[in-house]
Amino acid sequence: MLDLLQQGFGAVFSINILLLMAIGVAVGIVFGAVPGLSATMAVALCLPLTFTMGPQAGLSLLVALFIGATSGGLISAILLKIPGTPSSIATVFDGGPLMEQGHGAKALGIGIVFSFLGTLFSIAALMFIAPQLAKVALSFGPHEYFAIAIFSLTLIATLSAGSMVKGLFAGALGFAVSTVGIAPVEAIRRFTFGVSELNGGFSMLTVMIGMFAVAEIIKLAETGRHAVQGKAKSVSMKNIKGFGFSFKEFREQLPNAGRSGLIGLGIGILPGIGAGTSNLVAYIIAKKRAKDGHTYGKGNIGGVVASETANNAGIGGAMMPLMTLGIPGDTVTAIMLGGFLIHGIQPGPLLFISQGPLVYTIFAALIVATFMMLFMEFYGLRLFIKLLDVPKHILLPIILVLCVVGAFGLSSRLFDVWSILLFGVLGYGFVKAGMPAAPFIIGFILGPMAETNLRRGLMLSDGNFMDFFTNPISGSFLAIALVFILWQVYSAMRPKQSAINEILRS
Amino acid sequence: MRTTPNKKELIIGLAMIGSSLAYLVMAYQLPGHGGVDAGTVPALLAGLLILLGAMQVLSAFAAKPVAVEAAAPSTGDLPEVPAETAAPDVIEPRTVILTLALILGYMALLGPVGFPIMTVVYLYLQFLVLTPVTQKAKHLSYLLISVISSAVIFLLFREAFDLMLPAGLLNNFI
Repeated sequence: MLDLLQQGFGAVFSINILLLMAIGVAVGIVFGAVPGLSATMAVALCLPLTFTMGPQAGLSLLVALFIGATSGGLISAILLKIPGTPSSIATVFDGGPLMEQGHGAKALGIGIVFSFLGTLFSIAALMFIAPQLAKVALSFGPHEYFAIAIFSLTLIATLSAGSMVKGLFAGALGFAVSTVGIAPVEAIRRFTFGVSELNGGFSMLTVMIGMFAVAEIIKLAETGRHAVQGKAKSVSMKNIKGFGFSFKEFREQLPNAGRSGLIGLGIGILPGIGAGTSNLVAYIIAKKRAKDGHTYGKGNIGGVVASETANNAGIGGAMMPLMTLGIPGDTVTAIMLGGFLIHGIQPGPLLFISQGPLVYTIFAALIVATFMMLFMEFYGLRLFIKLLDVPKHILLPIILVLCVVGAFGLSSRLFDVWSILLFGVLGYGFVKAGMPAAPFIIGFILGPMAETNLRRGLMLSDGNFMDFFTNPISGSFLAIALVFILWQVYSAMRPKQSAINEILRS
Repeated sequence: MRTTPNKKELIIGLAMIGSSLAYLVMAYQLPGHGGVDAGTVPALLAGLLILLGAMQVLSAFAAKPVAVEAAAPSTGDLPEVPAETAAPDVIEPRTVILTLALILGYMALLGPVGFPIMTVVYLYLQFLVLTPVTQKAKHLSYLLISVISSAVIFLLFREAFDLMLPAGLLNNFI
């Protein structure tokens, strides 16, 4: 393993890739910091840039964007009291008050350092667990893959924001949209209406760009002309030693950080829920366990530590099912999946055998990007604060143009450009209806996987459905999925809910 | 736009059923229905979608309007997070329609007129449409930003990323 990792670092440490990654981390931090822009958007918009690069450079860039954007949310959470991304909501609770009390630099320093530690922790976990998981997954056949796809879909649909019915509907609708195009097995055309461009179905990237970026611009049009854009306060960086906090404070927060890191990692591994949930869960648990719990929410650094460690620890967690099973854990890794496929790499257990060096290049890129994030975010803070002031009505139209370029770049046809508008309008409709977009995306991606494996599994067992239930692994996944739905229905009917339950469901 | 949550949920439910039915009809027109084939999964999905739509409609009748209003988490454990829009949301359907029309026009003319010209036109008009009510439109800087972004994006992708964006009318000059 060590020599493979060494090779990986060797590949990453070329001027070319390091430069790309530095740009990636910086752009990622900006997308994370500016409210309304998200990690998903950053990766989706930059994916077309990687088409002409090799897989190592391309994937390193995407990884750098992912890490930068996940961490960047803390800047606006502390300075503007607005979470830049859902994953830093809990950072606002204590980061905001700390800023008001004049400890802004301390809050930022703590947030950045514990982001860094959380990311490193999760990458270490990824490096040790993923190869083992891949070994187990090697023996999986169509039955297991079908069950895992259904399990993941159920989880994301029931745990997403809003009502469970809407979440499940969004997931099923995504699955339905994925059936457009040439069917697996018999290869007949479905729902193409004679349009030859539809033979290959809708491209995953156009769906994502439409749902997340174009829909965001239409949403801005609705209220943007009356919204008050927050003004970032500047933080004095003079007389700051190190990262702005003492070693004693650091040591005191270590148990909290360890716990939050585990929470973030665990929630990150589960498909469907990620940093957006784990930062709140970690915050609540940190508050309950802390001796000075009553000061949480009034400017306790523990709150920032819990939230930032947990949301960044989700990075390694979300990469785990992607790299070992080819199943994306959230929307960002869903686009990463697209990135892998564009470079002709199929993520899954075989990746570790056939593309060993590439896997360790990705690990190395993750580690290098984490260090870059630490230094760029802290020392380049002023620049990022300036960018927070760029008016939205200038920024978002330019992003729309970039969306169009990205869609066109997929295969140089205007059909894809029209698709992003279609999915943009659909995404806007989802927002209006209070329907979550993430299950739709995951349904769209896992749908073909579920259908293909269902058909293959049925062929293997001569059309016998029972094999899906009698196979121990696939049977357990399907059973867990069923239990999960029943549990959700049960807890939805109970009037009184615990806070964690509330977050998981709301 | 003052519909009660209950009515809103009902409309959403009906839209869900409507789209599911359309999918069901299309799924049944797929060739061949013997055993498990390419039509099976779409038919199953259509059934699930309709079921979920029906559940949504039923819940719209069952839910008290107040319950939906209180859906915003009011957990005692968590402090309030200020929303980005401080003022109560002023919703402007007009701006939305104008924006959609601009995007539509931009995409339609992208092929014939070309990326460089259309991007300048689109960006300039879109900046104007989205200018906050509290600000005056800065025509000169809008125009400058539009021209510069269009040129930078077009040339960057053409030269650095080998992506030939449609040049349209400018085809003979570049």
